[in-house]
Amino acid sequence: MKRLLITTALGLSLGVAGAAMADVRLGVLVPDSGPAGLFGPSARQAAQLAAEDINTAGGINGEPVELIFADVGLPPAQAVQSVQRLWRAEGVQGFVGMHDSAVRAAIVGQLRGQVPYVYTAVYEGGECAPGTYVTGETPAQQLAPVIPWLAEHEGATNWYLIGNDYNWPRDTNAAAQEIIAASGGSVVGEEYVPLGSSDFDASLGRIRASGADAVLVTLVGGDSVGFNVAYAAFGLDAQALRLGTLIEENTLAGIGAANANRLFASMGFFASIDSDTARAYTDRLTAQFGADAAQPNGMGQSVYDGLMLMAALGNAAGSLDSDAVAAVADGASFSSPRGMATLDGNHVAQTIYLADGSSGAFEVVTSFDAVPSGVTCD
Amino acid sequence: MDTLVLFTLNATWQIAALALMALGLALVFGLLRIMNMAHGEFVMLGAYAPVLAAQLGLPALAAVPICLMMVGLTAWLVERLVVRHLYARMFDSLLATWALSILMRKGAELVFGRQFRNVASPLDGVTQIGAIGYPSYRLAVIALVLAGGLGLWLWYRRSATGLRLKAMVDNPALAQAVGINTARLSAMAFVSGCLMAGLAGMLLAPTLSISPGMGLDALIRSFFALIVGGLGSLEGLALGASVIGGLQSGLSAAFTQTAGYLGVLSLAILFLWRYPDGLYRRR
Repeated sequence: MKRLLITTALGLSLGVAGAAMADVRLGVLVPDSGPAGLFGPSARQAAQLAAEDINTAGGINGEPVELIFADVGLPPAQAVQSVQRLWRAEGVQGFVGMHDSAVRAAIVGQLRGQVPYVYTAVYEGGECAPGTYVTGETPAQQLAPVIPWLAEHEGATNWYLIGNDYNWPRDTNAAAQEIIAASGGSVVGEEYVPLGSSDFDASLGRIRASGADAVLVTLVGGDSVGFNVAYAAFGLDAQALRLGTLIEENTLAGIGAANANRLFASMGFFASIDSDTARAYTDRLTAQFGADAAQPNGMGQSVYDGLMLMAALGNAAGSLDSDAVAAVADGASFSSPRGMATLDGNHVAQTIYLADGSSGAFEVVTSFDAVPSGVTCD
Repeated sequence: MDTLVLFTLNATWQIAALALMALGLALVFGLLRIMNMAHGEFVMLGAYAPVLAAQLGLPALAAVPICLMMVGLTAWLVERLVVRHLYARMFDSLLATWALSILMRKGAELVFGRQFRNVASPLDGVTQIGAIGYPSYRLAVIALVLAGGLGLWLWYRRSATGLRLKAMVDNPALAQAVGINTARLSAMAFVSGCLMAGLAGMLLAPTLSISPGMGLDALIRSFFALIVGGLGSLEGLALGASVIGGLQSGLSAAFTQTAGYLGVLSLAILFLWRYPDGLYRRR
């Protein structure tokens, strides 16, 4: 009897291993290290939930998916080495990545459209490489519905734009300039500070003097925390509301309830979205990972969307062959804790949530459905 | 007029915060000739004290004993295990404390997690100075730094321990010969320097973004202040913090933050290159 059990167990494990060989392997590129390393754990957990959901629904064309992770919180030259290894040595058939734009450019250059690649991070827009699909929020998505809404409901008309000095804040502010002008507001100041800044006193003086009644914050990570803490210490929250397009749950935790009065954030996901699917998502994270469950946030959760899109593409095309996927991509849709999203060109039209962080935790105040990405590729 | 008042207050704050942050580094270098590259990590450790106090539901003042215990114990261990063996070996101690800083940063990631933390300011609101509303907590810290700095300066000049410290710095062998326990004094000096760093982190915590990686910024800014001011004296520290803090505030207000950083970096390079002894020693 005992022997029989052992043989059966052995047979089962061999069977599982055998099945694993036939699995559809997907490369999941997440930042375990580097400045975005904070998002590593939530991204990995999002990916695991997505793989479960895809496999429960029958995998990709009947084959279960297997995830192979790689750390891309590295300089681009090193990150593409991991991608190369996954592609050539591990037989990965598609990539889903949440990382910075420099790494994306390097990966696009390496894959050259031979393998489908879904990019999921909030970014500046404009990616049109063949075989590359984007679920990440673009500036147009995060701002076009939100700025007019804030003008109408919060009286925000004179905007001051402050960001770190690189392309994402600059491109976001370029989009903001147009949207603010179109909504009848005006830009009363625009400035960029070096990454890693900790002294914002001079900027705060300029914001006060500008008479702004709204500030668009495109500072990232610790810079955003330091700015927002000093902003509230000076009592500027009474003068002008703040809107951030990359202030997620971790950044807000660093800012703290005492410093978050009239701090708004616009993203495709917040842990507190009031819908059954979003609640089910956060409940599953707690149930599955217990004390190790990472704080859910839009950056990490985006990997779930990326994998869902990859599965939708593979199922629609009948395989993950890049030409077959490209032929069916436009119009492909999937659902996620964010809501429904549809591929329009190579970007998704998706739901955007505006949340108020005043209490120290985000409360979604309104949402906008099927917001177009504003990116058109020829 | 208002602009001038605001600028003066901002510059004073930058200088006070910088002097506070750099004090421990100056102390350890001045007394022991050890460039403590893990200085910033002791600042970081101190900044987590009020975070822990809040987490445990303790009153804000409980952060002080938590800070002293956490930082003091770590510093004592570090002195025993690493630094003690490297006195008078400046380059070796620099490398060893650099390694230590990485270890402490990663340790903090494990213990506290990578996420950002916040500390509510114990003194909320702004104080009106003319037409300018200035954060009350900053004003309190400025006053504390002035009082503390003056007290420390007087103590060092007048107390017996101050005298023994000076004897040890001037001639360790002779100091030992006349019965000064230099090993104990050195250990005390190192732990005190680290405690200063920890207390700086604790005091500045409500104004900073708190995460395991925050120490690097503290180290670099402290280092610049010491280079310019001259290593290892309170007067040099005050002078260096004033020049660096004032220059950064001035250029940032007049132009941009980028100009501020550029100015500070250029000045630091100039001093390292042309005046490695700094301002104070040259007089």
